[in-house]
Amino acid sequence: MTTSRPACLDWLQMLTGICLVVFMYLHALFLASIILGPGAFNSLADFFEKYYLAQKGGPAIALVFLVHFFLAARKIPLSSREQKKFLSAAKMFRHRDTWLWMVQVVSAVVVLLLGAIHMWVVLTDLPITAEKSAARIQTGYWLVFYMLLLPMVELHVGIGWYRLGIKWGFIKSAARHRAKRAEYYLTTFFILLGLIILVRFLLLSS
Amino acid sequence: MSRKLKYSIFRYNPVDPDSKPGMQEFFLQETENLNLFVALNILREVQDPSIQFDFCCRAGICGACGMVINGRPGLACRTKTADLPDQVSLLPLPGFRLVGDLSVDTGSWFRAMNEKIRSWVHTDKEFDPQEQEVCMDNRVAEKIYELDRCIECGCCIAACATAQMRVDFLGAVAMNRIARFMIDPRDKRGHKDYFEVVGTDQGIFGCMGLLGCQDVCPKNIPLQDQLAYVRRKMGWQALRRLMPGQA
Ligand code: HEM
Ligand code: SF4
Ligand code: SF4
Ligand code: FES
Repeated sequence: MTTSRPACLDWLQMLTGICLVVFMYLHALFLASIILGPGAFNSLADFFEKYYLAQKGGPAIALVFLVHFFLAARKIPLSSREQKKFLSAAKMFRHRDTWLWMVQVVSAVVVLLLGAIHMWVVLTDLPITAEKSAARIQTGYWLVFYMLLLPMVELHVGIGWYRLGIKWGFIKSAARHRAKRAEYYLTTFFILLGLIILVRFLLLSS
Repeated sequence: MSRKLKYSIFRYNPVDPDSKPGMQEFFLQETENLNLFVALNILREVQDPSIQFDFCCRAGICGACGMVINGRPGLACRTKTADLPDQVSLLPLPGFRLVGDLSVDTGSWFRAMNEKIRSWVHTDKEFDPQEQEVCMDNRVAEKIYELDRCIECGCCIAACATAQMRVDFLGAVAMNRIARFMIDPRDKRGHKDYFEVVGTDQGIFGCMGLLGCQDVCPKNIPLQDQLAYVRRKMGWQALRRLMPGQA
């Protein structure tokens, strides 16, 4: 008899994926409070800590992040024979959605590494304050770090929800091109927003 | 002025020990309404009688002439040279056994796939030739017909990076077949039975949604929507199986 395992893992992959997409977009919007000023940012951070959202929610997201990574990694070709096959297929067939999958794999690896470092650094140095964040970014190293992480996360998350919609049929074929356009706009928007946030942190005087 | 087209054609004869895989170039003046089916036949008739390729219906019905045309799997008989640039590269469909040059054996692959997913109407009803035929709802009949238009050309398999990477992946064509039986009232199989054949990583859960299949299918079969349909049905079936008291 066929086991339910592949099906259940696919469900989990979808659910953890949705959680992370929603989290990432909210995360960007919360960070955007810095545009209003450190006061707004700090009171939002206080609010999250008062209700233990950072202390409890942080590790919860970290767990979801880890589970999602292990599930998705099943799909990444590990043997060089499979990698070669995929590459030669993608090269022969210049096809946007096939290339987007490669972008997703590469961005996943970057996000796994940098995302884990980022979460560790932020969550082991609670409370979150605008001053601490700004000091980090003003070192310059963290600026480079975020400049890399930001586009990778946004690409990964953007392609991620598009692909989920396709696979489960929230996005029907008639809506595919509109959905893809929305995905490009949204990804661009969040990358720009992230850059503005970084610049704002950079210019924050302590 | 008509163009002179350059054709780069993959040449390799696996049964000839002296044959080495490589591309061979041919030149041919373009004529009006020329398609690749005619072009290849002219090349074979007047330039090189040894070129191997498959054709039968020359009308997009038999599915024999699938090949990779400038990087895209498609039917040669349905490809007008007017839609192609001055240089045309032709490769055999990847993922199938090579017979020689552009000719591949899609038949064995499709036979194995159809056997694996048990691609026929399962019924206990005894056929009675005297009885009046049971009428099928027209809407259902049309839905089934829409999916039944697949000509087994193999383009969706050649265009699927997942299928190329994992040889045991059944591909969009198999999911489309299953979707067709799922909506067929004559088939007594339930989702439980379909789950047995496609509720796997070789089946629907192996599909990564790259949509190469959807974008090349020469019959414009709505593969994307069928894949999602099968995934949802099989996803629910898996949850149902986890409930206590369910098989
Ligand atoms: C619950 C855990 C998390 C918390 C509390 C958190 C908090 C923060 C904070 C306070 C910043 C501002 C910069 C800094 O202080 O160094 C930031 C930036 C950033 N975070 Fe997170 N983060 C979390 C998880 C993640 C995860 C899982 C990812 C990636 C998947 C991520 C990606 C980013 C990126 C790309 C930036 C730079 C954003 C920008 O410039 O707009 N974060 N995060
Ligand atoms: S689904 Fe389309 S591309 Fe695939 S074998 Fe059938 S007709 Fe060809
Ligand atoms: S959607 Fe992609 S992975 Fe799924 S069958 Fe089609 S080409 Fe293959
Ligand atoms: S020759 Fe039959 S489909 Fe092209």
